[in-house]
Amino acid sequence: MIDRSPESGASPVAALVLAWAIPGAGHAYAGRWGKGALFFGCIVGLLAAGMIIGGGTVIVHRDAQEHLELWWLAQMGAGGATLALTPISEELARRGGQAIYANRYREVGTLYAAVAGFLNVLVMMDAYVKLAFPRDKREEEEETKKKEAS
Amino acid sequence: MVETVRHFFEHLLTLSNPFWLYYPLCAVAAVVYKATKFDDPRQIARAALHFFLSVTVGIFILAAVFYAMNRFF
Repeated sequence: MIDRSPESGASPVAALVLAWAIPGAGHAYAGRWGKGALFFGCIVGLLAAGMIIGGGTVIVHRDAQEHLELWWLAQMGAGGATLALTPISEELARRGGQAIYANRYREVGTLYAAVAGFLNVLVMMDAYVKLAFPRDKREEEEETKKKEAS
Repeated sequence: MVETVRHFFEHLLTLSNPFWLYYPLCAVAAVVYKATKFDDPRQIARAALHFFLSVTVGIFILAAVFYAMNRFF
């Protein structure tokens, strides 16, 4: 395993863990603040939208029959944000009772949160790969020359 | 034919399933996916728009095919 990026000195594993804990933090750690902000906005925005659409009951790790919610495993891709929202969501779901499971908007909200989790896994992989396998310097120089020429 | 198309759109608008909520989801997925591929914001925007339109049109065509199958077979 590659512990340190040869160019920036930033650790790909640290970027991976940070990206899981806070969406976009892996890119920010690698110095890509713009992308970090974009990913944070998109992923946390999706989670928040999912919570609003589903009445706040979409991130629960056990269903009414105390079975593990598979959706929650997908939502856990967004790590820290999902962990922070789980107790709030579970409390709201408990208050809502069985009726919440018949709500179509809750289904859409659950999907939003799950897609946020999947997208964060993609972002985590991107943060790791960009540090672990940086592009060839020559390739970057060529790109800079092209940009200057245009 | 015209009647069928009219009925298709009428059916879409009166669905109890909030299908229109899938569009923002698709747009965000497109932006995040393409942002992992490109670095230039303009390239990201262009590629994400292309991806979003492809998925939207693809789903729309699928919906029309399923609707036709359901109506005529």
